[in-house]
Amino acid sequence: MQMKNYLPFLLLTAMLLVVSCGSSKKEDAEAFLDELDEGVDAPAISEETINDILQQIPAPLEISVLMRESGAEYDRTILSDPDKVSNYNTTFKRAINLGIYGTDLIYTNIFGKNQEGLSYMKSVKELADDLNIGQFFNLKLVGRLATNNDNLDSLMLITTQNFNAINKYLQDNKRANLSILFLVGGWMEAVHINCKMSIDNPEVTSLSERIGEQKDVLERIMLLMSFYAETDPNIKDLHEDMKKLQDAYNSIQITYTYAEPTTEVVDGVLVIKDNSTSTVHITQDNVKEIDSVINTIRNKLTS
Amino acid sequence: MKILKYIFLVAAFAFVREEGKAQCNPTEQLKVCIPKLAGGFNFLKSYEINGRDGRLEKVEYSYPFAKGTQYMINLCSSEGEGKGLVVTLYDSNRKQLATSVVNGQHVSAILFTCQSTGIYYITYTFDNSAQYCGGSALGFKR
Repeated sequence: MQMKNYLPFLLLTAMLLVVSCGSSKKEDAEAFLDELDEGVDAPAISEETINDILQQIPAPLEISVLMRESGAEYDRTILSDPDKVSNYNTTFKRAINLGIYGTDLIYTNIFGKNQEGLSYMKSVKELADDLNIGQFFNLKLVGRLATNNDNLDSLMLITTQNFNAINKYLQDNKRANLSILFLVGGWMEAVHINCKMSIDNPEVTSLSERIGEQKDVLERIMLLMSFYAETDPNIKDLHEDMKKLQDAYNSIQITYTYAEPTTEVVDGVLVIKDNSTSTVHITQDNVKEIDSVINTIRNKLTS
Repeated sequence: MKILKYIFLVAAFAFVREEGKAQCNPTEQLKVCIPKLAGGFNFLKSYEINGRDGRLEKVEYSYPFAKGTQYMINLCSSEGEGKGLVVTLYDSNRKQLATSVVNGQHVSAILFTCQSTGIYYITYTFDNSAQYCGGSALGFKR
């Protein structure tokens, strides 16, 4: 047989080797993800639907920026203790407290408390390592940026990018249950901080309105958790606890009025003026009730 | 022998198709898009746009916009300057608010001042696109 007759076999063999190497990597990844899974079955709802709803949970950054702009003062005492990482020894607690610490980290960043932020960054990194997602954090880079307040924008950008990368990674690897816990922890901590600030600054209506606006977000979170409540006992417990939060939100009303938007192009950017309006009807008693329920849930999660 | 040659051809075709798919790398576009957010805007989310060589008509994302907040959405495509991409914004009732094609002209960013809190839908479509590939960044400021 001449050499040219062997060529197809050689190529085919090479391709099979490539495919088999890929399979091996895939198996490794699956084995690793199975470890993360801790026996949680996937819900009977499409991955696409879950990912769609996950997108609709706001980033803690956005809620936190409002706090700084409202004139409220930084208060470290309302944050979670960064030295309690070793207490979080289950995947559930690690994922939810990763979210909580993530929000606390953003809160310290926003107020320029970079050294305190480093304590949270270390805790975040430790929990992320325990969840085998520590590769998204470059502690050295963050530490360098944190030494100078002029780097605040870069610090926030990197933090946001890291958290987005974690979410994407978890969702891409079909572990949306962890992504949900991470997002719920972060969201709840943002509402918790917002409540404390609103109670201290009742005259700042933008803070209480932002708390009230979370009613729709909570509905989506509850829907997401309901998908997993049947198969994951930890999520089931949290879902039950959060029904009390839903009760606290029941008396808050949000009204909408629609009007056609107007648009114009300014310097190559399409500027859209929203002429619709929404109004949140919320009292300080509502804020206190929400705060009380969140405290109870949070204490359980951070114990 | 003929069977083996046939297997080889099918496998080679599949390999080439996979390689073709890998050509769209939205992550690279995001690296361009995120720094291009206008000054004063905080980066919030990045969105990958992969039209899978034209097999997808649109790519859609959603996000809860908050009253009193300005949002900027920009476009970056592998063809440069958001070329071939169109972004359309819809409110929570799926009513179209605006699109990045204005009087036949494409703009590469939209700025939305939200006065009504709710879920908004950000839809990316393709217009005379050769690569169906890009990225987009969402930023906000109060």
